[in-house]
Amino acid sequence: MLRDRCIHSWAMTDVKYGFIVTEKCYHCNQVRTYFTFEETPPKEEYKEAEHYWNYEGSAQSIKFSMRCGKCGKVVTFEELMGLMQCMACDEGCYINIISQICEGQNIWVYAGLAYKSGQEVDLPAEKMDVLTTYFTSRLRTPGKKILVLPGSLRRSPESCRGEVLRDVGMVSLTPET
Amino acid sequence: MRISELETKLNCKPLNQIYDKEADGAFISDMVSDVMAGAKAGSIWVTVQTHKNVVAAANLVDLAAIIIVRGKKVPEDTIQMADRAKLTLFATDEDTYQVAIRLFESGIKPGK
Repeated sequence: MLRDRCIHSWAMTDVKYGFIVTEKCYHCNQVRTYFTFEETPPKEEYKEAEHYWNYEGSAQSIKFSMRCGKCGKVVTFEELMGLMQCMACDEGCYINIISQICEGQNIWVYAGLAYKSGQEVDLPAEKMDVLTTYFTSRLRTPGKKILVLPGSLRRSPESCRGEVLRDVGMVSLTPET
Repeated sequence: MRISELETKLNCKPLNQIYDKEADGAFISDMVSDVMAGAKAGSIWVTVQTHKNVVAAANLVDLAAIIIVRGKKVPEDTIQMADRAKLTLFATDEDTYQVAIRLFESGIKPGK
């Protein structure tokens, strides 16, 4: 009952670093994305059921949960692969349209990209609300807000050029010569 | 410290318009994941990263400015994105350690 009435005060907890890995089956062209906590992303081709999965790419990122400092409720984000900011690549994309409207009001839209069993799914509405509340609570600029929306509002995930918050190539970072 | 003071106090060059605001902390990391997880709003972020997702991350957690160290060349699309987010980008040839010392000497404390 207490949790039902709580006006939550979220804090990020259980932060773990790992890799977002994208693989493709060259027999059926299916693409899947998953998160691994292995020290380096697995790159070997392997067979699973009818698929032959091949490594396509990876990026470092984090997994985390949110814990309410008042009631102790914990919300996990096992399906979240990243937050993405729109780069306005498609005038007809809902994320772009909503971003343009919101930015005029100092509301910054990030799409929550989520995957389950390798396939893209929407984050549950409650989890998007938690992310929106949490990241907005971290802001200091008066009037600024963060709004997390479902990734399915993108018109074309395949051609989307949005900027996903992840660390590409960090394991091979070398000084420029 | 005001963002407009960074150019003279830290010997760094603004790459776009200066969006002046108060900064009261510093955060040093080259990973956007670290920024998402731990950077405090109003901090100055010191990094070698020049990709535009640094701006997306800084905007998400409301950082005050970004200082790109070691003379890295910053792509134009990163600068444009910083203007969109009203976030000032600075560049310097100095390394992270030297910038950290200058920040400390200017009264800036860790922003975490």
